[in-house]
Parts: sequence; structure tokens; C-alpha cells
Amino acid sequence: MSEEKKDHKKEDFEPKIVGFLCNWCSYAGADLAGTSRIQYPPNVRIIRVMCSGSVDSMYILRALLEGADGVFVGGCHPGDCHYIDGNYKARRRMVLLENILGTLGLEKERVWLRWISASEGQKFADTMKEMAEAVRKLGPSPIAKHWNL
Amino acid sequence: MTHKVIKVKDNDVVGSTNDFLRNLLSSGKIQALLVPQNTPSKKVAFPVLISDPKKLHADIVAPILPASTATIVSKMTKVQPPSKPIGVVMRSCQIRALIELVKLNQASLTNIVIIGVDCPGTFPTNTYTEFPEKKTPTQFLLEAWTKKSDEAEKYFRSACRVCKDPIPTNADIILGFYGADIEKEIIVEAHSEVGKNILKELPLEDEEEGKSREKAVKELREEKAKKRAVFLKEKEGLKGIDKVSEFFDKCVNCHNCRQACPICYCKECLFDSSVFDAEAYKFLRRAEIKGLFKMPNDALLFQLGRMNHMILSCVECGLCEQACPNNIPLMDVFIPAAENAQKEFDYQPGKDTKEKIPMIVYREDEFLEVGEK
Repeated sequence: MSEEKKDHKKEDFEPKIVGFLCNWCSYAGADLAGTSRIQYPPNVRIIRVMCSGSVDSMYILRALLEGADGVFVGGCHPGDCHYIDGNYKARRRMVLLENILGTLGLEKERVWLRWISASEGQKFADTMKEMAEAVRKLGPSPIAKHWNL
Repeated sequence: MTHKVIKVKDNDVVGSTNDFLRNLLSSGKIQALLVPQNTPSKKVAFPVLISDPKKLHADIVAPILPASTATIVSKMTKVQPPSKPIGVVMRSCQIRALIELVKLNQASLTNIVIIGVDCPGTFPTNTYTEFPEKKTPTQFLLEAWTKKSDEAEKYFRSACRVCKDPIPTNADIILGFYGADIEKEIIVEAHSEVGKNILKELPLEDEEEGKSREKAVKELREEKAKKRAVFLKEKEGLKGIDKVSEFFDKCVNCHNCRQACPICYCKECLFDSSVFDAEAYKFLRRAEIKGLFKMPNDALLFQLGRMNHMILSCVECGLCEQACPNNIPLMDVFIPAAENAQKEFDYQPGKDTKEKIPMIVYREDEFLEVGEK
């Protein structure tokens, strides 16, 4: 598997995206995309979390350092959080993480936060298409080839 | 603000400040004093909690910060604050850290009288204990100071060289060297009602000209801001995974930096928790992803994760760097990160206990572009 990964060319590169989706909105949105048979790229590996506010920056960093080409965090729209204000906290945390990644020049463009509700199956599929394309353009994460982290 | 001075007798700065501290302790206004004092070996000055004025032989100039004074005050006040006032002699970075710990509910200022001392900078603990000059570190520093020379600069910790503000803020009483002719006098200022009450009963003389300190402080802050800007510019190149991984290459994931950090207060740190315990097959699986896997694992994850958790409260005391067994110059990364992150949230750690830590509050109408296309 590792040999394969080393040799891949940019054009046939399939981005690996780790997606943290909140149980109440974005995960249900992804579910709706599936049950509605909407097609979207299979690049995202979904991990269900109870709230976008429960996604510690460490989860995102871990995914990036392990070689994920992109990390997606999905939460309820502002004002709609099942736990009232988890997504507002997630938003601040994302601002902080992006700031730190920016300071260290660690490609903050690979980390996305989006609000997707339970009824937005189409938006989920569109967002996944958009992100897969954006990450494909960025190319493989340079972190992926570093084993000395 | 009350301006008073301690007259320096026989050019003995440390002795004269000790007379002041002994008077303060004997006055009964405070029941004990936490102040840096050289240990019997004279090799190192530690914060010592002194209740008997006769045993006080402090050295408030001693250019050393062996451990976080803020953490010590947290330990002394977290379970139950003292019932009568205790004086704590602190440098500006440690006062800032203490204010942050109060916001994090890890310390109380009840019956704590903060005596802030102007800080010219400190040497690494090992430089202090094995000081290469003929004089003691304190003598060397005082002489450099009176000569207005920068010969002590080369010994300073890197955090001190680019210190944000060596002048104490949020102190009840300030012992000021800047703006004073320290061969003759040391400035004493009361910055709170508590401080005023304490000072009015002590044998101090009135300051003759009050303006010299303000000017000196302003000049010092400008000079420090310039040095800081140069430092930040220099470190801008430290970007990208190649440089970042090289920078942290020597990290053995020992967590000493976190242990020394005044802000990292968690009893059980996430990075010490069982989250990082794993079965052998999981290690192997991770090796298989890249074909090989550096151990001890997750050192960079720890560094970046810790940074995410504490950087908004980072007071840039540099104790993390001093604690590093492999001499990683952590401030090169932590100061630029703190500068940028704190600017983003318009937050100054250590400014005011009434302010909230940015990560526990939010506004509905902020960062609207984040999360939207």
C-alpha cells in the first residue's frame, strides 16, 4: 500500500478526506444524500461525532499528521445546534486552528468547516464534490510522506 | 498612585530591598511573603514562603526563574485561599500567568498581595548555577544595569530578550528599577487600595521627581516592541511541514514543557491519557500507512495539540523552552503563534481577570465567513 502511495501521480491521485459529521445535522444530511441516491465522490471517510463542538483540534491534527489529504468538519447551521451553542464553539476553535496552521505554514486550506442540516442531502453531496476537487487540486498532502513526526 | 522610594544604602540594592521586605513582613499587614531567595548552596534562587522576618535574605534581583511562580500561587490558593494577606513577589510574565489561572478557576487573588518587580530579564537556570563570570549573577546584572551596558543580554533566556512587557501590571505594589538611579534609590508604587494601605505605614521616603519612571518605562516598552518585531520577522521563515518537523525533530515527547508551563494546569492531560494507549497491531497498522513510524510516537501531535490548547493564554514566559531536555528553542514557534492567535481574537492574556478566555465564549455574529463558502 505504501509503495502505491509513493508512486501516485497527481492526475490519478484520489484524495483521502476524513470527515467529522455531527450526529444531529450533517450526519443526517449525509444519510439523506445516501437514501436519496445522490451521487458524490467516495473520497470522504465519515466519522460520526455527537457535535461539531466535540471535535477537539487534536482530532483534526491527528488526521493531518497521519497523512489525510483533507479534513472536513460538518455541523448544524448557526442557531440550530442540538446542544444550543456547540457549533459556535466549533467555529471559534476552527478559527484558532486555522490561525495556528497559518503561522506554521501547514496548509490550512485542507481543513474545511461547513454547516449542513439534516434536510440538506444535496448540499452535503455538492460540498463533498467541491472539497474532493479542491483537495485534488492541492495534490497529495506533503505531510503524508513525513514519517518522522 | 503613591510614589515612594527605598533609599539604597552603601550601594547595596539587594540589602536595601530586603530591609523594605523585612519591614513589610514585620508590619503585620501580611502574614507571609513568597519571594526569591538563594538556597544555602547559593547556586540557585527559588521562591521561598517566609513567615519569620529574621530568616528573610531574599534576592529580588536574582536573574532566574526556576519554576512558575504563578503555578506556586495557584497551588497555595486553589483549595482554599489564605485567611490573611500573603505577599507574593512576582515578575511581569508570572503575574500575567496568574491572571490567566484565575480566569481558569485555578487560583484565587483573595488575600494575595502582588508585589511586582521590574524585570530586566533572567538567565537559564543552568547558566545561573554555573555562572561563568567572576561575580554572582545578581552583581553582574546590577553592574551592567548601572553602566547601562548590554553585557548581560547574551546570558538572557530568549523569551526575556523579546519580552512583551517587563513592567508588572495588575500588581498591588510595584518595586521599580527603571527610571531610578539604583545606586541611590528604588521606586515603590502602590497600584491598588490594598497596596496604598500597606505602604502608608512603612518607613519610605517621597520620590523627588515623579516623571523619570514614566519616561523610562515608555522608552523600554518601545525598545522591547522593536526587538520583538525583529524577532517575529526573523522567525517568519519557519513555515511548512519540512521545517516544522525538522524543528521538533529532537522532541522525545517527555511533556516537560507542559509540566513547566504555568497555563497547562490540567490534572490529567489528554496527551497522558489512555487515548494514546494502543494494542501492538495498531502501532503496526500506523507503521504500514507510511511504511515506517518514528518512536516515541505522536511528538509533533503533542506539540501542536498543546499549542492549540494553551496558546491564547500564552504569556511567553519561556519556561517550556527552559524545561526542554533537548534544548528545542520553543519560543521561536510559540511567540509567533501566540502573537498571531491572540491578535485574531483581540485578546491579551494577563490583562484583566474579568475578561473571559476566548475559547469558552462566542458571539453569534462573529467569524461569519467561517463555515460558509
